[in-house]
Amino acid sequence: MNKIKYLLISFSLFTLHAQAQEADSLLKALDSGRVASTVDAAFKSTHVVLSHSSETQKKHDLDLRIRHHFGDIGGRFGSAHTLYGLDVATDLFIGLDYGVTDDFTVAVGRSKQDELFNFSGKYKLLKQKTDASMPINMTLFAQLGWIAREPLNNSEFAQYSDRFSYFFQSIISRKFSSRLSLEVMPGYLLRSNVEDHGDAKNLFSLGFAGRMKITKRLSFIADYTLVNGLSRPKDLTESYYNPFGVGLEIETGGHIFSLNFMNSEYIVENNFIPNTKKSWSKGGVRFGFTISRNFTLFKSKNEDPDKKSKIY
Amino acid sequence: MNRIRKITRVFIALLLLHLSAGAQNFVSKNIRIGLFSSTPLEDIRAVSDKGNAVLVSKTREIVVQLDVKTLEFDRKLMQEHFNENYIESDKYPNAKFKGVIDQAIDFTKDGNYGVTVTGVLSVHGVDKKRTIPGKVIISNGVVQISTEFNVACVDHNIKIPKLVFAKIAEFITIKAEGKFNPLK
Repeated sequence: MNKIKYLLISFSLFTLHAQAQEADSLLKALDSGRVASTVDAAFKSTHVVLSHSSETQKKHDLDLRIRHHFGDIGGRFGSAHTLYGLDVATDLFIGLDYGVTDDFTVAVGRSKQDELFNFSGKYKLLKQKTDASMPINMTLFAQLGWIAREPLNNSEFAQYSDRFSYFFQSIISRKFSSRLSLEVMPGYLLRSNVEDHGDAKNLFSLGFAGRMKITKRLSFIADYTLVNGLSRPKDLTESYYNPFGVGLEIETGGHIFSLNFMNSEYIVENNFIPNTKKSWSKGGVRFGFTISRNFTLFKSKNEDPDKKSKIY
Repeated sequence: MNRIRKITRVFIALLLLHLSAGAQNFVSKNIRIGLFSSTPLEDIRAVSDKGNAVLVSKTREIVVQLDVKTLEFDRKLMQEHFNENYIESDKYPNAKFKGVIDQAIDFTKDGNYGVTVTGVLSVHGVDKKRTIPGKVIISNGVVQISTEFNVACVDHNIKIPKLVFAKIAEFITIKAEGKFNPLK
């Protein structure tokens, strides 16, 4: 008899308990089907300091990018005579990056150095996931460089194809936390126009880059590209250095400004990977900046009034 | 013997009550949740159809939860900024409201109720006690809810920096609506 009573009480207690838990456990059951989402924005911008980041443009977003590298701060070409390099522009760049899809970006740009036009495609192949199924981002990058300037002598550009260079890179990144993202970038450059005759035409490169957020909108960025010490011959008459840049990146929602210091005179990979002739240790550091402004095109294609944003 | 029969009857009655209580749960996986920020310079809207919700009719308990990453903006960059800089969805992936409907509702009959729900709104990792007005419409066993309320960014520790070109309102209007189906 007592046993039955006990059973009854425990049953009703169980029922009450189950009800208190019901809403949460039902919600949990609904949630269990959720798939792991991607980890977005390993980098804020498509570029770090000199190198590309693993990010691509968003679909239908057009990025206008203006970049500037000034002259040497110190050394023979620097000091107060050139206002620490600010009188000199070793390279200027203007470019447009357009997102065909969220994963595929095409770009065109033009540099002062060599009057170089560059055309590139960038494809985000792998995306880091919140669970362990995909720990990294991987982006493939290919860039054609076209030297448009007059030849410096009769033998230069003997064939028109000598004006072209091709750069291929795979960019592997990981966002370790909301603050810290790192990437490695193995690359290969094919070129015909070689400054030092002892130098190899084709060069391997290995880049490293990182971003450390200081505040939500201010980040410390840095990149280093290993060129010397890989496939490049050692006994060259010119001294070449590995490009190394550091900077502060300021994001204001649509605009990105970065204030950089780097040893490379040049802006585009096809120039700075083979031809960096300045060194951090000999006053060859320069100031540079990037201004990037994003425009969203084809916004009118959005038919859903609940998603429509409007600027007055 | 008689006694045992009586107890068995009570037991069965309890069991049935429990089962019927279980049959009166409602769930939904596609609550439409939208946000709207309005300033003289810029209107910003975003919406998601992926809100999960549970309604326990017996206790009048209601829970609505949204994976904030599913909110879509017409500008993807804005969406990225929302996730990265404001709502910090990597750290706080869900927005949730859990509360109890203050008024009595007969979920077995068709009807139209104006209600208030008192509970806790969790956004950006900050819990805030709220009483939210809404509507409950019951027809043919399907329960429909809708609500509109404001959320102050400051209440949930969401900072609006001065140095931004997109202008964000201090109060964001949240709209939610959707149909629940009885859980079988």
